[in-house]
Amino acid sequence: MDFSQVIENYANPKTCFFHVLFKAAALAFYILSALFFNSFVIIFVVTVLLSALDFWVVKNVSGRILVGLRWWNEINDLGESVWRFECLDQESLARMNKKDSWLFWWTLYLSAVAWIVLGIFSLIRFQADYLLVIGVCLTLNIANIVGFTKCRKDAKKQIQQFATQTIASRFSSTLQSAFSVV
Amino acid sequence: MALRDWDLWGPFFFIVFLGLTLSWSASVKKSEVFAVAFALLAAGAVILTLNVLLLGGHIVFFQSLSLLGYCLFPLDVGALICMMENNVILKMIVVCVTLAWSSWAAYPFMSSAVNLSRKALALYPVFLMYVSVGFLTIAID
Repeated sequence: MDFSQVIENYANPKTCFFHVLFKAAALAFYILSALFFNSFVIIFVVTVLLSALDFWVVKNVSGRILVGLRWWNEINDLGESVWRFECLDQESLARMNKKDSWLFWWTLYLSAVAWIVLGIFSLIRFQADYLLVIGVCLTLNIANIVGFTKCRKDAKKQIQQFATQTIASRFSSTLQSAFSVV
Repeated sequence: MALRDWDLWGPFFFIVFLGLTLSWSASVKKSEVFAVAFALLAAGAVILTLNVLLLGGHIVFFQSLSLLGYCLFPLDVGALICMMENNVILKMIVVCVTLAWSSWAAYPFMSSAVNLSRKALALYPVFLMYVSVGFLTIAID
């Protein structure tokens, strides 16, 4: 299959690429580094750095562009911390490319699963320091998953509201047309 | 206040930098030193925040993590200086100065979060954590 044909299916190929790049780089570096580097410190720093970059890209760029969701934390005037989860309005959400959002969610879940599997391996081998690396990367991944899932629930609520509104408006318009005929 | 906008990039960088400096200064067991330093500082910040919350204090979890991380900066500088020095007395002086600076920086935020009778309970563990980092810095050769 031609490369340009593959790209055509995605509405935002560059964003998709970056979304996957840092996740794959962190996992690949972690797995392959044992072959090249002896130093745990370098493995730790580079893996955690790539994971942190991935967290930032997913939260601030690919979440908004690929699936139209965003979440963040604010401290309001009273000094309390407020978490905000938002999604785009219904029309824009409907216009999102299906392949983009499929890629987004699947790579998110798959990378978390991959880190869990790697974590089980180091647990079996009793390597506490590698567990530390995996712990940090897993925390970052799960934070994104939880954040975006909460946004999705907000999106589902919006769909329900939209549906009830449309049903209500259709109902009232049919009633009106029925009465106007009579 | 600038404290409102917390972020964890700064603390992450400072903790990693401190771990790297301590690891470079160590002649043996470099990986263990780094892992211990990172785990100690990260877990310490979380536990200190939980401590204040459990004492009935009013802080925001991530704000406190962010502050405790940023307050590591003097200790970072101290560890850097100690890496290049070998004289124990000089190291002790540098560590004491940077330790005092870090604690002085963390004091206002932590003490304002709890009520008067529990201030010492909230501040003592912070000071203890910074002292333990100071000990690590002096003891590594």
